[in-house]
Amino acid sequence: MDKQIVDALARRAGLDKALAEFPDDVAAAARQAADVMAKIKAQDEPRAEPWPAMRAGEGL
Amino acid sequence: MNAPVTSPVSPDVASMTDELHWLGVAGAAEAIVTGDLSPVTLVTALLKRIEKLEPELHAFIRLDREAALAAAKVAEAEARAGRLRGPLHGVPVGIKDIIDVAGLPTTSHSKVLADSPPAKADAICVERLRAAGAIVMGKLSTHEFAIGGPSFDLPWPPARNPWNAGHHPGGSSSGSGAGVAAGFFPMALGTDTGGSVRNPASCCGIVGMKATYGLVSRRGVFPLSFTLDHVGPMTRTVTDNALMLSVLAAHDPQDPGSAAPPHAHYLDALDRGAQGLRIGFVRHFHERDMPAHPETAAALENVMRSLQLAGADVRDITLPSLIEFGAVNRVILQSEAWSIHAPWLRERPGDYGRLARRRLMPGAFFGAGDYVTANRRRREMIAEVNAALAEVDVLLCASSMDPACRIDDASEVERTYPRQARMPFNVTGHPAIAMMAGLSSNGLPLSVQFVGRYFDEAMLYRVARAWEQIAGMDTKRPPI
Repeated sequence: MDKQIVDALARRAGLDKALAEFPDDVAAAARQAADVMAKIKAQDEPRAEPWPAMRAGEGL
Repeated sequence: MNAPVTSPVSPDVASMTDELHWLGVAGAAEAIVTGDLSPVTLVTALLKRIEKLEPELHAFIRLDREAALAAAKVAEAEARAGRLRGPLHGVPVGIKDIIDVAGLPTTSHSKVLADSPPAKADAICVERLRAAGAIVMGKLSTHEFAIGGPSFDLPWPPARNPWNAGHHPGGSSSGSGAGVAAGFFPMALGTDTGGSVRNPASCCGIVGMKATYGLVSRRGVFPLSFTLDHVGPMTRTVTDNALMLSVLAAHDPQDPGSAAPPHAHYLDALDRGAQGLRIGFVRHFHERDMPAHPETAAALENVMRSLQLAGADVRDITLPSLIEFGAVNRVILQSEAWSIHAPWLRERPGDYGRLARRRLMPGAFFGAGDYVTANRRRREMIAEVNAALAEVDVLLCASSMDPACRIDDASEVERTYPRQARMPFNVTGHPAIAMMAGLSSNGLPLSVQFVGRYFDEAMLYRVARAWEQIAGMDTKRPPI
Protein backbone atom coordinates (compact mmCIF):
# COMPACT_ATOMS: atom_id res chain seq x y z
CA MET A 1 0.00 0.00 0.00
CA ASP A 2 1.29 3.45 -0.97
CA LYS A 3 2.71 5.44 1.98
CA GLN A 4 0.48 8.42 1.27
CA ILE A 5 -2.60 6.22 1.34
CA VAL A 6 -1.45 4.53 4.57
CA ASP A 7 -0.87 7.94 6.18
CA ALA A 8 -4.27 9.21 5.05
CA LEU A 9 -6.08 6.11 6.32
CA ALA A 10 -4.18 6.23 9.62
CA ARG A 11 -5.12 9.90 10.11
CA ARG A 12 -8.73 9.16 9.24
CA ALA A 13 -8.66 6.48 11.98
CA GLY A 14 -7.25 9.03 14.44
CA LEU A 15 -3.78 7.44 14.60
CA ASP A 16 -1.84 10.72 14.18
CA LYS A 17 0.08 10.15 17.39
CA ALA A 18 1.00 6.57 16.46
CA LEU A 19 2.00 7.77 13.01
CA ALA A 20 4.37 10.31 14.56
CA GLU A 21 5.81 8.02 17.23
CA PHE A 22 5.66 4.55 15.65
CA PRO A 23 5.53 4.97 11.86
CA ASP A 24 6.97 1.49 11.26
CA ASP A 25 4.26 -0.14 13.37
CA VAL A 26 1.53 1.76 11.51
CA ALA A 27 3.01 0.74 8.15
CA ALA A 28 3.28 -2.91 9.30
CA ALA A 29 -0.36 -2.89 10.45
CA ALA A 30 -1.55 -1.48 7.12
CA ARG A 31 0.50 -4.06 5.21
CA GLN A 32 -0.88 -6.87 7.35
CA ALA A 33 -4.49 -5.76 6.75
CA ALA A 34 -3.97 -5.69 2.99
CA ASP A 35 -2.22 -9.09 2.95
CA VAL A 36 -4.92 -10.76 5.01
CA MET A 37 -7.80 -9.64 2.78
CA ALA A 38 -6.01 -11.02 -0.26
CA LYS A 39 -6.17 -14.52 1.26
CA ILE A 40 -9.96 -14.70 1.54
CA LYS A 41 -11.84 -16.32 -1.34
CA ALA A 42 -13.78 -13.80 -3.42
CA GLN A 43 -17.53 -13.93 -2.87
CA ASP A 44 -19.51 -14.78 -5.98
CA GLU A 45 -22.93 -14.45 -4.37
CA PRO A 46 -23.65 -10.82 -3.45
CA ARG A 47 -26.87 -11.76 -1.69
CA ALA A 48 -25.19 -14.20 0.75
CA GLU A 49 -25.85 -13.31 4.39
CA PRO A 50 -23.02 -13.07 6.87
CA TRP A 51 -23.11 -15.15 10.05
CA PRO A 52 -25.05 -14.89 12.24
CA ALA A 53 -28.36 -13.60 10.97
CA MET A 54 -30.40 -11.61 13.50
CA ARG A 55 -32.88 -13.79 15.37
CA ALA A 56 -35.66 -11.64 16.75
CA GLY A 57 -36.94 -12.54 20.16
CA GLU A 58 -33.81 -14.42 21.21
CA GLY A 59 -31.07 -13.35 23.58
CA LEU A 60 -30.94 -9.88 25.07
CA MET B 1 -22.67 -32.01 46.64
CA ASN B 2 -21.81 -34.50 43.93
CA ALA B 3 -19.83 -37.61 44.78
CA PRO B 4 -16.09 -37.07 44.35
CA VAL B 5 -14.66 -38.00 40.98
CA THR B 6 -12.36 -40.98 41.24
CA SER B 7 -8.91 -40.12 40.00
CA PRO B 8 -7.56 -42.39 37.25
CA VAL B 9 -4.59 -42.98 39.54
CA SER B 10 -5.88 -42.99 43.08
CA PRO B 11 -3.69 -40.61 45.05
CA ASP B 12 -1.65 -42.07 47.84
CA VAL B 13 -1.37 -38.71 49.51
CA ALA B 14 0.73 -39.94 52.41
CA SER B 15 3.49 -41.01 50.02
CA MET B 16 3.24 -37.76 48.04
CA THR B 17 4.05 -35.29 50.79
CA ASP B 18 7.05 -33.92 48.89
CA GLU B 19 5.25 -34.00 45.56
CA LEU B 20 1.81 -32.62 46.32
CA HIS B 21 2.34 -30.18 43.46
CA TRP B 22 1.75 -33.02 41.00
CA LEU B 23 -1.59 -33.97 42.53
CA GLY B 24 -4.32 -33.35 39.96
CA VAL B 25 -7.77 -31.79 40.30
CA ALA B 26 -9.70 -35.04 40.75
CA GLY B 27 -7.02 -36.53 43.00
CA ALA B 28 -6.86 -33.48 45.27
CA ALA B 29 -10.66 -33.18 45.46
CA GLU B 30 -10.95 -36.86 46.34
CA ALA B 31 -8.26 -36.68 49.03
CA ILE B 32 -9.89 -33.61 50.59
CA VAL B 33 -13.28 -35.32 50.64
CA THR B 34 -11.86 -38.43 52.35
CA GLY B 35 -9.93 -36.30 54.84
CA ASP B 36 -6.54 -37.57 53.64
CA LEU B 37 -5.50 -34.08 52.57
CA SER B 38 -6.02 -30.66 54.09
CA PRO B 39 -6.54 -27.71 51.71
CA VAL B 40 -4.08 -25.75 53.88
CA THR B 41 -1.41 -28.42 53.42
CA LEU B 42 -2.01 -28.40 49.67
CA VAL B 43 -1.94 -24.62 49.26
CA THR B 44 1.15 -24.35 51.49
CA ALA B 45 2.96 -26.96 49.40
CA LEU B 46 2.06 -25.13 46.20
CA LEU B 47 3.19 -21.77 47.62
CA LYS B 48 6.55 -23.37 48.43
CA ARG B 49 6.80 -24.68 44.88
CA ILE B 50 5.91 -21.24 43.50
CA GLU B 51 8.46 -19.52 45.75
CA LYS B 52 11.15 -21.82 44.40
CA LEU B 53 10.38 -21.68 40.68
CA GLU B 54 8.48 -18.45 40.02
CA PRO B 55 11.66 -16.31 39.75
CA GLU B 56 12.55 -18.38 36.69
CA LEU B 57 9.09 -18.92 35.17
CA HIS B 58 7.17 -15.65 35.77
CA ALA B 59 3.74 -17.31 35.60
CA PHE B 60 2.16 -14.75 37.95
CA ILE B 61 1.26 -11.10 37.59
CA ARG B 62 0.02 -11.18 41.17
CA LEU B 63 0.26 -14.08 43.61
CA ASP B 64 -2.54 -13.68 46.16
CA ARG B 65 -0.79 -15.63 48.91
CA GLU B 66 -2.75 -14.37 51.93
CA ALA B 67 -6.17 -14.72 50.31
CA ALA B 68 -5.33 -18.24 49.09
CA LEU B 69 -4.23 -19.33 52.56
CA ALA B 70 -7.29 -17.74 54.17
CA ALA B 71 -9.58 -19.49 51.68
CA ALA B 72 -7.76 -22.78 52.34
CA LYS B 73 -8.37 -22.41 56.09
CA VAL B 74 -12.07 -21.83 55.48
CA ALA B 75 -12.18 -24.81 53.09
CA GLU B 76 -10.46 -26.97 55.68
CA ALA B 77 -12.94 -26.02 58.40
CA GLU B 78 -15.85 -26.65 56.04
CA ALA B 79 -14.45 -30.04 55.04
CA ARG B 80 -14.01 -31.04 58.68
CA ALA B 81 -17.62 -30.06 59.32
CA GLY B 82 -18.75 -32.09 56.32
CA ARG B 83 -19.88 -28.97 54.45
CA LEU B 84 -18.32 -29.43 51.02
CA ARG B 85 -19.14 -26.69 48.53
CA GLY B 86 -18.84 -28.79 45.39
CA PRO B 87 -16.61 -31.05 43.29
CA LEU B 88 -13.60 -28.68 43.47
CA HIS B 89 -13.66 -28.15 47.24
CA GLY B 90 -10.22 -26.92 48.33
CA VAL B 91 -8.62 -27.26 44.88
CA PRO B 92 -6.36 -24.34 43.84
CA VAL B 93 -6.78 -22.54 40.52
CA GLY B 94 -4.85 -19.83 38.65
CA ILE B 95 -6.68 -17.11 36.69
CA LYS B 96 -5.44 -15.43 33.50
CA ASP B 97 -5.18 -11.71 34.13
CA ILE B 98 -7.79 -10.65 31.61
CA ILE B 99 -10.45 -12.34 33.79
CA ASP B 100 -11.94 -10.44 36.75
CA VAL B 101 -11.33 -11.66 40.27
CA ALA B 102 -13.10 -9.59 42.91
CA GLY B 103 -10.69 -7.43 44.90
CA LEU B 104 -7.81 -7.70 42.41
CA PRO B 105 -7.04 -5.43 39.46
CA THR B 106 -7.34 -6.90 35.95
CA THR B 107 -4.25 -5.58 34.15
CA SER B 108 -4.29 -7.60 30.91
CA HIS B 109 -0.48 -7.60 31.41
CA SER B 110 -0.44 -4.05 30.01
CA LYS B 111 0.76 -0.64 31.08
CA VAL B 112 -2.58 0.62 29.74
CA LEU B 113 -4.43 -1.04 32.64
CA ALA B 114 -1.56 -1.39 35.13
CA ASP B 115 -3.21 1.04 37.57
CA SER B 116 -6.74 -0.35 37.27
CA PRO B 117 -8.84 -0.38 40.43
CA PRO B 118 -9.66 -3.81 41.88
CA ALA B 119 -12.50 -5.64 40.13
CA LYS B 120 -15.78 -5.31 42.00
CA ALA B 121 -16.97 -8.83 41.24
CA ASP B 122 -15.72 -12.17 39.99
CA ALA B 123 -16.18 -13.03 36.33
CA ILE B 124 -18.91 -15.66 36.01
CA CYS B 125 -16.37 -18.39 35.26
CA VAL B 126 -14.48 -17.53 38.47
CA GLU B 127 -17.73 -17.30 40.41
CA ARG B 128 -18.66 -20.82 39.27
CA LEU B 129 -15.26 -22.24 40.21
CA ARG B 130 -15.43 -20.66 43.66
CA ALA B 131 -19.00 -21.88 44.16
CA ALA B 132 -17.68 -25.40 43.45
CA GLY B 133 -15.05 -24.89 46.16
CA ALA B 134 -11.96 -23.79 44.17
CA ILE B 135 -9.31 -21.56 45.77
CA VAL B 136 -7.93 -18.69 43.67
CA MET B 137 -4.12 -18.52 43.87
CA GLY B 138 -3.70 -15.30 41.90
CA LYS B 139 -3.64 -13.60 38.51
CA LEU B 140 -1.49 -14.98 35.72
CA SER B 141 0.73 -13.64 32.96
CA THR B 142 -0.75 -13.31 29.49
CA HIS B 143 0.33 -11.89 26.18
CA GLU B 144 -0.71 -8.23 26.39
CA PHE B 145 -4.52 -8.01 26.01
CA ALA B 146 -4.39 -11.66 24.90
CA ILE B 147 -2.95 -10.68 21.53
CA GLY B 148 0.65 -9.47 21.93
CA GLY B 149 3.38 -12.06 22.20
CA PRO B 150 6.13 -12.98 24.59
CA SER B 151 7.24 -9.36 25.12
CA PHE B 152 10.01 -7.76 27.11
CA ASP B 153 8.69 -4.17 26.87
CA LEU B 154 5.79 -4.56 29.33
CA PRO B 155 5.52 -3.83 33.08
CA TRP B 156 5.89 -7.56 33.89
CA PRO B 157 8.22 -10.12 32.29
CA PRO B 158 6.80 -12.82 30.00
CA ALA B 159 6.11 -16.31 31.37
CA ARG B 160 8.57 -19.05 30.40
CA ASN B 161 8.27 -22.72 29.53
CA PRO B 162 8.79 -25.17 32.44
CA TRP B 163 10.18 -27.78 30.04
CA ASN B 164 13.01 -25.36 29.19
CA ALA B 165 12.92 -21.84 30.59
CA GLY B 166 14.86 -20.56 27.58
CA HIS B 167 11.78 -21.25 25.46
CA HIS B 168 8.36 -19.57 25.37
CA PRO B 169 5.34 -21.33 26.90
CA GLY B 170 2.91 -20.36 24.12
CA GLY B 171 0.13 -17.88 24.59
CA SER B 172 -1.73 -15.87 25.05
CA SER B 173 -2.65 -17.78 28.25
CA SER B 174 1.07 -18.11 28.94
CA GLY B 175 1.05 -18.00 32.75
CA SER B 176 -1.84 -20.49 32.82
CA GLY B 177 0.09 -22.99 30.69
CA ALA B 178 3.40 -22.49 32.49
CA GLY B 179 1.81 -22.62 35.95
CA VAL B 180 -0.18 -25.80 35.37
CA ALA B 181 2.80 -27.55 33.77
CA ALA B 182 5.14 -26.44 36.57
CA GLY B 183 2.87 -27.72 39.34
CA PHE B 184 1.95 -24.27 40.68
CA PHE B 185 -1.76 -25.23 40.62
CA PRO B 186 -3.57 -28.23 39.10
CA MET B 187 -5.94 -26.14 36.99
CA ALA B 188 -6.13 -22.70 35.40
CA LEU B 189 -8.45 -20.56 33.35
CA GLY B 190 -7.32 -19.33 29.96
CA THR B 191 -9.04 -17.59 27.08
CA ASP B 192 -8.95 -18.55 23.40
CA THR B 193 -9.70 -16.20 20.47
CA GLY B 194 -7.21 -17.53 17.93
CA GLY B 195 -5.92 -20.50 19.90
CA SER B 196 -4.77 -18.98 23.20
CA VAL B 197 -5.81 -21.87 25.49
CA ARG B 198 -4.60 -24.52 23.08
CA ASN B 199 -1.25 -22.90 22.24
CA PRO B 200 0.14 -22.92 25.79
CA ALA B 201 -1.39 -26.38 26.28
CA SER B 202 0.57 -27.48 23.19
CA CYS B 203 3.82 -25.80 24.21
CA CYS B 204 3.68 -26.88 27.86
CA GLY B 205 2.43 -30.46 27.37
CA ILE B 206 -0.86 -30.05 29.22
CA VAL B 207 -4.54 -30.32 28.24
CA GLY B 208 -6.42 -27.22 26.98
CA MET B 209 -10.07 -27.21 25.94
CA LYS B 210 -11.77 -24.54 23.87
CA ALA B 211 -15.34 -25.65 24.28
CA THR B 212 -18.20 -24.82 21.90
CA TYR B 213 -18.72 -21.06 21.51
CA GLY B 214 -21.10 -19.90 24.22
CA LEU B 215 -20.74 -22.91 26.52
CA VAL B 216 -18.69 -20.95 29.10
CA SER B 217 -19.75 -17.42 30.01
CA ARG B 218 -17.47 -14.55 28.94
CA ARG B 219 -19.01 -12.06 31.36
CA GLY B 220 -16.27 -10.37 33.40
CA VAL B 221 -13.55 -11.22 30.86
CA PHE B 222 -11.78 -8.35 29.05
CA PRO B 223 -12.87 -8.86 25.43
CA LEU B 224 -10.61 -9.24 22.42
CA SER B 225 -13.16 -10.29 19.80
CA PHE B 226 -16.85 -10.69 20.65
CA THR B 227 -17.39 -13.21 17.86
CA LEU B 228 -14.38 -15.41 18.61
CA ASP B 229 -13.66 -15.21 22.38
CA HIS B 230 -13.90 -18.37 24.48
CA VAL B 231 -12.94 -19.13 28.09
CA GLY B 232 -11.34 -22.53 28.60
CA PRO B 233 -10.07 -24.97 31.24
CA MET B 234 -6.38 -25.93 31.38
CA THR B 235 -5.21 -28.96 33.37
CA ARG B 236 -2.56 -31.69 33.35
CA THR B 237 -4.96 -34.54 32.55
CA VAL B 238 -8.04 -35.11 30.44
CA THR B 239 -10.10 -36.26 33.43
CA ASP B 240 -9.27 -33.07 35.33
CA ASN B 241 -10.21 -31.00 32.30
CA ALA B 242 -13.59 -32.71 31.98
CA LEU B 243 -14.22 -32.14 35.67
CA MET B 244 -13.34 -28.45 35.40
CA LEU B 245 -15.54 -27.94 32.33
CA SER B 246 -18.46 -29.65 34.07
CA VAL B 247 -18.28 -26.83 36.63
CA LEU B 248 -17.78 -24.03 34.09
CA ALA B 249 -20.42 -24.94 31.49
CA ALA B 250 -23.71 -23.14 32.06
CA HIS B 251 -26.07 -20.72 30.38
CA ASP B 252 -25.57 -17.08 31.31
CA PRO B 253 -28.55 -14.95 30.24
CA GLN B 254 -26.42 -11.81 30.55
CA ASP B 255 -23.76 -12.97 28.07
CA PRO B 256 -25.19 -12.29 24.59
CA GLY B 257 -23.17 -15.20 23.14
CA SER B 258 -24.14 -17.70 25.82
CA ALA B 259 -25.71 -20.94 24.71
CA ALA B 260 -28.25 -23.07 26.53
CA PRO B 261 -27.11 -26.58 25.62
CA PRO B 262 -28.63 -29.81 26.85
CA HIS B 263 -27.00 -31.01 30.07
CA ALA B 264 -23.85 -32.95 29.30
CA HIS B 265 -21.94 -35.50 31.36
CA TYR B 266 -18.33 -34.96 30.36
CA LEU B 267 -16.96 -37.63 32.66
CA ASP B 268 -19.29 -40.48 31.75
CA ALA B 269 -17.75 -41.56 28.43
CA LEU B 270 -14.13 -40.91 29.41
CA ASP B 271 -12.93 -44.48 29.53
CA ARG B 272 -14.85 -45.95 26.62
CA GLY B 273 -11.70 -46.03 24.48
CA ALA B 274 -11.29 -45.56 20.74
CA GLN B 275 -12.97 -48.76 19.58
CA GLY B 276 -15.50 -47.96 16.87
CA LEU B 277 -14.78 -44.23 16.72
CA ARG B 278 -14.78 -42.62 13.28
CA ILE B 279 -11.89 -40.16 13.07
CA GLY B 280 -11.26 -37.69 10.24
CA PHE B 281 -7.55 -36.88 9.82
CA VAL B 282 -7.06 -33.35 8.43
CA ARG B 283 -3.64 -34.00 6.94
CA HIS B 284 -3.54 -31.07 4.55
CA PHE B 285 -3.29 -28.61 7.44
CA HIS B 286 0.19 -29.80 8.36
CA GLU B 287 1.29 -31.47 5.12
CA ARG B 288 0.29 -28.90 2.49
CA ASP B 289 -1.08 -25.67 3.98
CA MET B 290 1.69 -25.16 6.57
CA PRO B 291 4.25 -27.97 6.36
CA ALA B 292 4.98 -28.97 9.95
CA HIS B 293 8.31 -29.60 11.65
CA PRO B 294 9.19 -33.25 10.82
CA GLU B 295 8.93 -34.30 14.47
CA THR B 296 5.43 -32.78 14.71
CA ALA B 297 4.36 -34.58 11.54
CA ALA B 298 5.75 -37.88 12.84
CA ALA B 299 4.00 -37.42 16.20
CA LEU B 300 0.65 -36.77 14.48
CA GLU B 301 1.11 -39.89 12.38
CA ASN B 302 1.85 -41.84 15.57
CA VAL B 303 -1.33 -40.57 17.29
CA MET B 304 -3.37 -41.51 14.23
CA ARG B 305 -1.87 -45.03 13.97
CA SER B 306 -2.21 -45.62 17.72
CA LEU B 307 -5.90 -44.75 17.69
CA GLN B 308 -6.35 -46.91 14.59
CA LEU B 309 -4.71 -49.83 16.40
CA ALA B 310 -7.05 -49.19 19.32
CA GLY B 311 -10.00 -49.78 17.03
CA ALA B 312 -10.79 -46.40 15.48
CA ASP B 313 -11.72 -46.07 11.83
CA VAL B 314 -9.52 -43.27 10.43
CA ARG B 315 -10.07 -41.56 7.09
CA ASP B 316 -8.68 -38.40 5.50
CA ILE B 317 -10.84 -35.26 5.56
CA THR B 318 -10.42 -32.05 3.59
CA LEU B 319 -11.43 -28.66 4.96
CA PRO B 320 -10.81 -25.14 3.60
CA SER B 321 -7.18 -24.04 3.60
CA LEU B 322 -5.59 -23.15 6.89
CA ILE B 323 -4.33 -19.95 5.31
CA GLU B 324 -7.86 -18.80 4.52
CA PHE B 325 -9.19 -19.83 7.93
CA GLY B 326 -6.42 -17.73 9.46
CA ALA B 327 -7.27 -14.73 7.29
CA VAL B 328 -10.96 -14.86 8.23
CA ASN B 329 -10.00 -15.11 11.89
CA ARG B 330 -7.68 -12.11 11.62
CA VAL B 331 -10.18 -9.83 9.85
CA ILE B 332 -12.93 -10.51 12.39
CA LEU B 333 -10.60 -10.49 15.40
CA GLN B 334 -8.68 -7.35 14.46
CA SER B 335 -11.80 -5.43 13.38
CA GLU B 336 -13.53 -6.14 16.67
CA ALA B 337 -10.36 -5.59 18.72
CA TRP B 338 -9.94 -2.20 17.01
CA SER B 339 -13.42 -1.23 18.14
CA ILE B 340 -12.29 -1.92 21.73
CA HIS B 341 -8.78 -0.45 21.63
CA ALA B 342 -9.14 2.51 19.24
CA PRO B 343 -9.47 5.20 21.95
CA TRP B 344 -6.30 4.03 23.73
CA LEU B 345 -4.36 3.46 20.50
CA ARG B 346 -5.19 7.01 19.46
CA GLU B 347 -4.27 8.66 22.76
CA ARG B 348 -1.53 6.50 24.27
CA PRO B 349 0.00 4.19 21.64
CA GLY B 350 3.27 4.18 23.57
CA ASP B 351 1.62 2.46 26.52
CA TYR B 352 1.25 -0.72 24.44
CA GLY B 353 4.13 -3.09 23.82
CA ARG B 354 5.33 -3.22 20.24
CA LEU B 355 3.80 -6.62 19.44
CA ALA B 356 0.31 -5.76 20.72
CA ARG B 357 0.41 -2.36 18.98
CA ARG B 358 1.27 -4.04 15.67
CA ARG B 359 -1.40 -6.70 16.11
CA LEU B 360 -4.18 -4.34 17.18
CA MET B 361 -3.72 -1.55 14.61
CA PRO B 362 -4.57 -3.55 11.45
CA GLY B 363 -8.20 -3.17 12.48
CA ALA B 364 -7.91 0.52 11.57
CA PHE B 365 -7.25 -0.44 7.96
CA PHE B 366 -10.13 -2.85 7.31
CA GLY B 367 -13.29 -1.52 5.72
CA ALA B 368 -16.85 -2.43 6.65
CA GLY B 369 -17.02 -4.54 3.49
CA ASP B 370 -13.97 -6.54 4.59
CA TYR B 371 -15.66 -7.42 7.87
CA VAL B 372 -18.83 -8.55 6.10
CA THR B 373 -16.82 -10.56 3.57
CA ALA B 374 -15.02 -12.39 6.39
CA ASN B 375 -18.31 -13.15 8.13
CA ARG B 376 -19.88 -14.42 4.91
CA ARG B 377 -16.94 -16.73 4.37
CA ARG B 378 -17.18 -17.76 8.00
CA ARG B 379 -20.71 -18.98 7.45
CA GLU B 380 -19.53 -21.16 4.54
CA MET B 381 -16.65 -22.50 6.63
CA ILE B 382 -19.04 -23.47 9.43
CA ALA B 383 -21.11 -25.43 6.91
CA GLU B 384 -17.99 -27.17 5.59
CA VAL B 385 -16.82 -28.26 9.06
CA ASN B 386 -20.34 -29.38 9.95
CA ALA B 387 -20.46 -31.46 6.74
CA ALA B 388 -17.14 -33.11 7.65
CA LEU B 389 -18.40 -33.88 11.14
CA ALA B 390 -21.51 -35.51 9.71
CA GLU B 391 -19.19 -38.22 8.30
CA VAL B 392 -16.99 -38.75 11.37
CA ASP B 393 -17.25 -38.44 15.15
CA VAL B 394 -14.17 -36.33 15.61
CA LEU B 395 -11.40 -34.61 13.64
CA LEU B 396 -7.71 -35.12 14.36
CA CYS B 397 -5.27 -32.43 13.23
CA ALA B 398 -2.20 -30.44 14.18
CA SER B 399 -2.27 -27.80 16.88
CA SER B 400 1.19 -26.17 16.72
CA MET B 401 3.34 -26.95 13.69
CA ASP B 402 6.56 -26.57 15.69
CA PRO B 403 7.78 -27.12 19.24
CA ALA B 404 8.20 -23.86 21.21
CA CYS B 405 11.17 -21.82 20.04
CA ARG B 406 13.55 -19.78 22.19
CA ILE B 407 11.77 -16.88 23.88
CA ASP B 408 14.62 -14.46 23.12
CA ASP B 409 14.64 -15.21 19.38
CA ALA B 410 12.19 -12.56 18.17
CA SER B 411 12.35 -13.55 14.51
CA GLU B 412 11.71 -17.23 15.28
CA VAL B 413 8.79 -16.27 17.57
CA GLU B 414 7.40 -14.16 14.71
CA ARG B 415 7.87 -17.02 12.22
CA THR B 416 6.43 -19.86 14.30
CA TYR B 417 3.53 -18.20 16.15
CA PRO B 418 1.14 -18.12 13.17
CA ARG B 419 2.09 -21.70 12.19
CA GLN B 420 -0.87 -23.34 13.89
CA ALA B 421 -4.22 -25.00 13.16
CA ARG B 422 -6.27 -23.62 16.03
CA MET B 423 -7.81 -20.52 14.44
CA PRO B 424 -10.23 -22.51 12.24
CA PHE B 425 -12.25 -23.56 15.26
CA ASN B 426 -12.51 -20.06 16.70
CA VAL B 427 -13.93 -19.08 13.31
CA THR B 428 -16.48 -21.92 13.36
CA GLY B 429 -17.04 -22.20 17.13
CA HIS B 430 -16.59 -25.99 17.20
CA PRO B 431 -15.08 -27.49 20.37
CA ALA B 432 -11.38 -28.33 20.16
CA ILE B 433 -8.92 -29.81 22.62
CA ALA B 434 -5.12 -29.69 22.42
CA MET B 435 -2.73 -31.96 24.28
CA MET B 436 0.71 -33.52 24.16
CA ALA B 437 1.49 -35.86 21.27
CA GLY B 438 5.05 -36.64 22.36
CA LEU B 439 8.39 -34.98 23.02
CA SER B 440 10.79 -33.52 20.50
CA SER B 441 14.43 -34.61 20.36
CA ASN B 442 15.33 -31.55 22.44
CA GLY B 443 12.79 -32.44 25.12
CA LEU B 444 9.95 -30.04 24.29
CA PRO B 445 6.28 -31.04 23.98
CA LEU B 446 4.76 -31.77 20.58
CA SER B 447 1.01 -31.47 20.21
CA VAL B 448 -2.18 -32.83 18.69
CA GLN B 449 -5.69 -31.39 18.44
CA PHE B 450 -9.09 -33.09 18.37
CA VAL B 451 -12.20 -31.26 17.13
CA GLY B 452 -15.82 -32.25 17.65
CA ARG B 453 -19.41 -31.42 16.85
CA TYR B 454 -21.10 -28.53 18.62
CA PHE B 455 -21.66 -29.35 22.30
CA ASP B 456 -20.10 -32.80 21.92
CA GLU B 457 -17.21 -32.10 24.29
CA ALA B 458 -17.84 -35.54 25.83
CA MET B 459 -16.68 -37.16 22.58
CA LEU B 460 -13.50 -35.04 22.58
CA TYR B 461 -12.73 -36.06 26.14
CA ARG B 462 -13.27 -39.70 25.19
CA VAL B 463 -10.81 -39.68 22.30
CA ALA B 464 -8.32 -37.47 24.18
CA ARG B 465 -8.44 -39.85 27.17
CA ALA B 466 -7.95 -42.81 24.85
CA TRP B 467 -4.77 -41.23 23.46
CA GLU B 468 -3.64 -40.19 26.94
CA GLN B 469 -3.96 -43.78 28.17
CA ILE B 470 -2.26 -45.31 25.14
CA ALA B 471 0.75 -43.01 25.41
CA GLY B 472 0.83 -42.38 29.15
CA MET B 473 0.72 -38.65 28.51
CA ASP B 474 -0.71 -37.95 31.97
CA THR B 475 2.51 -39.22 33.54
CA LYS B 476 4.92 -36.96 31.65
CA ARG B 477 6.32 -34.04 33.66
CA PRO B 478 8.79 -31.27 32.88
CA PRO B 479 12.23 -31.82 34.42
CA ILE B 480 11.91 -29.25 37.18
